[in-house]
Amino acid sequence: MHIPDGFLDLKTWVSTGIISAVIIGGAVRKVNKAIGAEGDNEKIIPVMGVMGAFVFAAQMFNFPVAGGTSGHFMGGVLAALLLGPLTGLLILTTVLIVQCLIFQDGGLTALGANIFNMGFVGSYLGYYIYKILAIFLPGPKQKMAAIFIAGWFSIVLAAAACALELAFSGTVSLKIALPAMAGVHALIGVGEGLITVVVAGLIAKVRPDLLNLQKV
Amino acid sequence: MELSYIDRYSELDSPIHKLDPRVKTAAFFMYILFVVTTLPGEYLAYALFFLLMLFVIILSKVSLLYILKRSLAIIPFVLIISVFLPFSAPADRLFAGHIKVNNRGLELFFNIVIKAWLSIIAVTIFSATTAFPAFLKGLNALHFPKIIVLMLSFMYRYSFVLLEEVTRINTARKSRSPVGNTVRQLKTVGNIIGLLFIRTYERGERIYQGMLSRGFNGEINIISKLHIGKYDCVFLTSFILALVIIKIKGAL
Repeated sequence: MHIPDGFLDLKTWVSTGIISAVIIGGAVRKVNKAIGAEGDNEKIIPVMGVMGAFVFAAQMFNFPVAGGTSGHFMGGVLAALLLGPLTGLLILTTVLIVQCLIFQDGGLTALGANIFNMGFVGSYLGYYIYKILAIFLPGPKQKMAAIFIAGWFSIVLAAAACALELAFSGTVSLKIALPAMAGVHALIGVGEGLITVVVAGLIAKVRPDLLNLQKV
Repeated sequence: MELSYIDRYSELDSPIHKLDPRVKTAAFFMYILFVVTTLPGEYLAYALFFLLMLFVIILSKVSLLYILKRSLAIIPFVLIISVFLPFSAPADRLFAGHIKVNNRGLELFFNIVIKAWLSIIAVTIFSATTAFPAFLKGLNALHFPKIIVLMLSFMYRYSFVLLEEVTRINTARKSRSPVGNTVRQLKTVGNIIGLLFIRTYERGERIYQGMLSRGFNGEINIISKLHIGKYDCVFLTSFILALVIIKIKGAL
């Protein structure tokens, strides 16, 4: 889902770049406010830092998807669920910056689009999908269903956003890109949802206090 | 450690390594900007852009083979996305004798693969010649949001540690359990990631205690300051001049 350089045209990568910059700017302001002017909550800084490394490491896990292909875990909803939607967005942002610069996974001009797809749609929106679902699914078992659905949507919506950007750029026609991207990622999304549920379940069993960290 | 290649070439001494990280970031960003805005069919411009980067690679003393290997490793992903382009519109010509393709789609396909490859080469050489801490110092000097610079520096330090931990856990899993069906595998992966999260959080708390005991007050203070000198200015000016000339030449 990482768009390389050259796949997006000027209007698309510039506009997604500006949108992402504005969103990140807002997130940074809110997180700074949560840390406080006096650094009352400065503990958030190292925790957010190692959590970036955590999501990065968690993304190394490949799992098989039908048809011989494999997908990997994204962790957008998981990060937002544990540390809050804005933190999730910033974690995914830093992960994507490192992936782009060190591993050449995703292009530099496409960074804004990739951050929008996976950070904003995948993590931030994914979190609010969970929040809305949790209103209708209040019980502990039902909550797990809400986590699964949010995890699935986060992947499928991020893939759809990616397809839309490629289509706006004239790189592929929407008729082909949208069903192809959404189709493949509908399968990967099942993996994402299941893993997120298992992780949340494990933490609830072993260290339930970690589910109630300060969320930003 | 398998990730040790990240900083394999960043300690060399060359005209490229010597550049201020801010100047280098600007130069490479301009390069990619010029490459991705090249119009389809300007193959002369692509060739010249490649030669320019080749010149930079030779200056940097980084192994050319290493750059080619690393950049080509990404190409399969590029091909997966773009390979359908020549076939996504009604075919109007034959390619390589007998493959029915759409001419505009074919040109777009070549165009995209070349752009992606040139950009990947540029980023590869950038990261090979820039130590990550120096890059972060540059971001800091450019007043990039402090929290993001801090998160990036933590990521750089602890990704190695966590990846090693993941590898260890994975080896333990593989040696104990045969591969089950997909749902089982997903469950195992989920448990490992959950375990990793708890361990990482506890590690984060220990790191915070360690930082506190060393006088952390929410600020990261850097002793050495960056400096943009005459050499940096000359390099950046001539580099951008070369890009502009290629752009004009290529459009002719």
